[in-house]
Amino acid sequence: MRGRVLASWLLLGMVLIAIAVVAAPGSSYSNQDRDLPLAGSSAHHPAGTDALGRDRMVRVAAAYLLCLAGAICASAITTAAAAGVGTLSAFSPESLGRLGMLVCDVFLALPWLFLLMMVRSALPLTTSPAHSAAITFLVLATLGWPACARAVYRGACDLRNAEWVLQVRAGGLRGRQIARHVLPNLVPLLIPQFLICIPAFIIAEANLGALGLGIGEPLPSWGGMLLELDNSAMLLQTRWVYLPIALLILILLLLEAIAVEA
Amino acid sequence: MKSAVSLLRRLARTVLVVFLVVFGSTVLIRFAPGYLSDVREMDARYGDAARTELSAEAARSSSVRQMLSTEMSAWANGSLGLSRQYDVPVLELVLPRLAVTGSLMLRAIVFAWSLAVGASLLSNAGRNPSLLWQAPTTLLLAVPTSAIATICLLAGSGGPVLVMTLLLAARDFKFLDRLLRQAWRSPHLLQAKAQGLTTLHLVRAHILPNVASQLLALATLSIVTALSALVPVEVIFSVPGLGQLAWNAAMNRDLPVLLAVTMIMAIAVTCVGMASDRSADWQGA
Repeated sequence: MRGRVLASWLLLGMVLIAIAVVAAPGSSYSNQDRDLPLAGSSAHHPAGTDALGRDRMVRVAAAYLLCLAGAICASAITTAAAAGVGTLSAFSPESLGRLGMLVCDVFLALPWLFLLMMVRSALPLTTSPAHSAAITFLVLATLGWPACARAVYRGACDLRNAEWVLQVRAGGLRGRQIARHVLPNLVPLLIPQFLICIPAFIIAEANLGALGLGIGEPLPSWGGMLLELDNSAMLLQTRWVYLPIALLILILLLLEAIAVEA
Repeated sequence: MKSAVSLLRRLARTVLVVFLVVFGSTVLIRFAPGYLSDVREMDARYGDAARTELSAEAARSSSVRQMLSTEMSAWANGSLGLSRQYDVPVLELVLPRLAVTGSLMLRAIVFAWSLAVGASLLSNAGRNPSLLWQAPTTLLLAVPTSAIATICLLAGSGGPVLVMTLLLAARDFKFLDRLLRQAWRSPHLLQAKAQGLTTLHLVRAHILPNVASQLLALATLSIVTALSALVPVEVIFSVPGLGQLAWNAAMNRDLPVLLAVTMIMAIAVTCVGMASDRSADWQGA
């Protein structure tokens, strides 16, 4: 419990620092200082600049905020969808419940990354960076719910067979009222699902971005910044190239710590 | 007789899942906002007439029904469709790469299981979960596959097999460690240990039969995880396998190839899942 609280405070502190860095006057993730490409640490650019002369600290801060916000939204959508499908499948007639789980099986049979690549490659050639970010996380949310839905379904089935639910159903409680009573009892199951999905989505975005299929430039993202590691000449010139990957690992470890203890 | 009916039912379910996967993927692709745009339209070498023809060709194959029938007939005649990028049957591209990917996955899974089983047995020798084993696995799981592959490539040590082995071993270890710890602490085993039964006998006669079904589920999960890690690993290490083919197809909007590779992956996952369920049933019986 102490570890979870500490990890939450650390993440919150990092969010505040990132907001301060991004909102500082004159800082922009896309501003290019053409005289200083791949510069080292200086008073003006504390973490140096990238190959295009953009401030690395601002870009890392913006990537952190963007990916965290995107992953949280995607996770919320996934959890809500999983709660809906899982609960409906458990409390519907058996044939409908089986159909719901068959849909889950269909999604689970498809390896995530291949489906993501398929959808990303079918986007218009002129997709704007903001749209590409929204679509990336929306696709992650669309593909992430079946595993959660299976867990929710099992939990909802246990509840369906619980004596108090049998009693209220026998007493004539209607579907909507059942949902009102059942969903709060599923919250202890939904919260870990929500927390587990956040780091999973951040990793998925980083993997997609590293393959060049993630969020479009000039918007900063973890995946986009991992692409810098491919350039060995750049690695010899400045050690600050490792900052994004180091921070990404730290953030993922903190998120994992929160999820594991939930 | 009952067993045969159950097997047939499972087989029917697998076929249905595969068909729904084909249908779902086709619908997803068709309604993706950029489906009708072709990367060749941006190529300056194509004249206006050619571009008009490309648009007309895309419009002609725009109905889901037509896409599905084209897809089915391509699978029925064994060509798996025609690659837009290379203008050859997809099967010609897939076959040589299937062996490369299969060999990479097989080696990675065998090494990962050996590593995970060894580590979890050693970890369980202690009284409490050891940080020595837990910390590296947690760290490995927190690093994106592409980053591990890039770091290995830059360091000049380790190849695709090592990266996939590490990733799979970390996932398998987390599960195996918990599973063995629970099994090891069950009351009947504590009593057997107190009576002086050897560890080897306990593992062979009591632990393995009890955890066999979970191990089969974990084996399925290993294959799914390996398939997901395949793309970044093959792309970064330039391994000419199915993952690299899929990535190339995605970058060049070669949807027939991408769809065929995704279908192959889906069929593999579904069949492995069915085999795992069936074996678990036999174990249960």
